[in-house]
Amino acid sequence: MLIYIVKRLLVAVPTLLAVLTVVFFFVRIAPGDPTFIILGDQASQQAIAAVHHELGLDRPMLVQYLDFMSTVLQGDLGNSLVTHRPIWNEVANVLPYTIELTLSALFIGVVLGLPLGIAAARHRNETLDYAARIFSLLGLSFPAFVSAIMLLLAFAIELHWFPVISEARTGDPLSRVSALVLPAVNLGLIMVAYVMRVARSSMLGVLGEDYIRTARSKGVPARVVIWRHALGNALIPVVTVVGLYLGVLIGNSVLTEIVFNRPGLGKLIVNSLNQRDYTMLEGLMVIYAFIIVIVNLLTDLTYGLVDPRVRQR
Amino acid sequence: MSEAQHPSLVVDGLTTAFRVEGRWYDAIRDVSFSVAKNETLALVGESGCGKSITALSIMGLVPKANGRITAGRVLLDGRDLVPLDETEMEKIRGNAISMIFQEPMTSLNPVLPIGFQVAEALRYHTALAGEAARARALALLEHVKIPSAARRFDDYPHQFSGGMRQRVMIAIALACSPQIILADEPTTALDVTIQAQVLALLAELKSETGMAMIFITHNLGVVASIADRVAVMYAGDLIEIAPVEELFEHPMHPYTEALLSSIPRVDRDAGDLKPIAGQVPPITAMPSGCRYADRCPLRVPRCTKMPPLVALAVDPKHRVRCWVRAAEESANA
Ligand SMILES: Nc1ncnc2c1ncn2[C@@H]1O[C@H](COP(=O)(O)OP(=O)(O)OP(=O)(O)O)[C@@H](O)[C@H]1O
Ligand code: SF4
Ligand SMILES: [Mg+2]
Repeated sequence: MLIYIVKRLLVAVPTLLAVLTVVFFFVRIAPGDPTFIILGDQASQQAIAAVHHELGLDRPMLVQYLDFMSTVLQGDLGNSLVTHRPIWNEVANVLPYTIELTLSALFIGVVLGLPLGIAAARHRNETLDYAARIFSLLGLSFPAFVSAIMLLLAFAIELHWFPVISEARTGDPLSRVSALVLPAVNLGLIMVAYVMRVARSSMLGVLGEDYIRTARSKGVPARVVIWRHALGNALIPVVTVVGLYLGVLIGNSVLTEIVFNRPGLGKLIVNSLNQRDYTMLEGLMVIYAFIIVIVNLLTDLTYGLVDPRVRQR
Repeated sequence: MSEAQHPSLVVDGLTTAFRVEGRWYDAIRDVSFSVAKNETLALVGESGCGKSITALSIMGLVPKANGRITAGRVLLDGRDLVPLDETEMEKIRGNAISMIFQEPMTSLNPVLPIGFQVAEALRYHTALAGEAARARALALLEHVKIPSAARRFDDYPHQFSGGMRQRVMIAIALACSPQIILADEPTTALDVTIQAQVLALLAELKSETGMAMIFITHNLGVVASIADRVAVMYAGDLIEIAPVEELFEHPMHPYTEALLSSIPRVDRDAGDLKPIAGQVPPITAMPSGCRYADRCPLRVPRCTKMPPLVALAVDPKHRVRCWVRAAEESANA
């Protein structure tokens, strides 16, 4: 397992470098000159050149690239064009909120989705299975912001169980949790739908496998056959989906953060888009690149935990 | 060794049906035989004739989604297993009756260490747990001749060859010293040399333990070397059953005759049962009378009207299911 971890880490490094490279060129190639945003389109040639120089845009591409890579890898994302504060500080301020939202949604998704999927597979074509499948279809086809608004209407505005305006930033842990519940449920339900769907289909596949019959032929109790023999194998595709979906989840969290008025990476992106905060956007892309690489790495490591064939490769 | 003495397992009128596109069809029909302690009964027949379904029906492992036992009894020491619920069957499976499957490459769980999979067979039927179960499982692996078993105890199935995996399966099946073991083509998927080794191992273990065995195979060469009695199946019917020498010397059913005449000579490759013209009808399209009628050279009008009954041959241990041959026998008698 140790060798496997080291190998995965070694693979993650070039992936990260490649993604950063893409971010760098994407930003340079994208149309629009950030100096116009800073100076307005009436700016003199001289002023533009001065800003170019200040941003380092007058240097050769290769130099810019090396400079970008080395500062990013040192953890320096530069300053916001709008607030002039370090980008890393802005991100660090809101990152915990996005992480707590994503992880709670993931938790809800796995804790509900997995048992539901397994139950649906065991009771294939029975009422429970149909109900679960309809729910998963709804969950997959419902836009996240619509369900967010519906949750707000029902539980915040009608029932007053949770705050309408988020108080996520208060120091009080209780109100922080209560501000988290609705957004986490909103994203979590979609996750439940995803996890349930793959868990069901991969469980159905696994239950037909020869080794399940072997386990039963040994007299292993049905419960143990499901949770030890079948689940161990059925988890492999579930891990893939959870890993892939974490990316989608981060995207969905943008809309959820806006509807629920939560601080987070999503809101930061929208604000910097509105303000055309070009350096901020570049910094956020770098952060997302890091997150995706880390999620992939965690997915790979989970594979290793679940599947001995993988970790011995 | 007569079946009348100590029938360990009696199968009586066993009928198992599958639902295919909304209708139920019998995959095996009115199958009856018994096996005694110490005895090996070979179950032979072409592919699709119901050998595996017979074994799975005995184990209570017919896939529930679309299959069920519709009639008959499976008596283990006089106790009928058919009406037992899942929890009661769990106490019997792997304990009193074990099964070895055809496909060693897929029959072990890929995410569990093999030692664990052997120890697990002990866990639910014996008082052994933890270290004691581990020690016993290791002894079993050594018994089935897994080289350096101690070192390989925690290895996973993908680290073993097909022959070694089948040895692991045998260790699992033997773990609780069952009264009877069902071996469903345990060597078919293996190389010829490995086949011989695994067969030798099975024969050795069987003579040590005195258990009964039902050995399912295509290969009549194997039958001659391992079986005491032979049951021949065709299209879900058990059509002939006799002691092994008797069957080889005086086959009665035209299908058995055809099978025997299709055995390759010693100077040729040992082989499968195939070269009879035609094929086994699918369970959805069984003829109403004798199911062998389409391929049978002896067919008479009665054959296609009514399914033949089981008749005793001169020797009471020899039974056959054929209108023509049964009539000849009773005329001779
Ligand atoms: N789950 C199922 N659903 C429908 N039909 C089935 C099912 N399982 C088996 N059958 C049918 O039952 C018949 C007997 O199958 P069985 O597996 O017992 O054959 P077999 O004698 O073991 O053949 P082989 O030598 O190929 O293993 C076949 O016609 C098969 O198509
Ligand atoms: S019953 Fe008739 S068709 Fe069937 S095997 Fe005997 S002779 Fe042939
Ligand atoms: Mg079979």
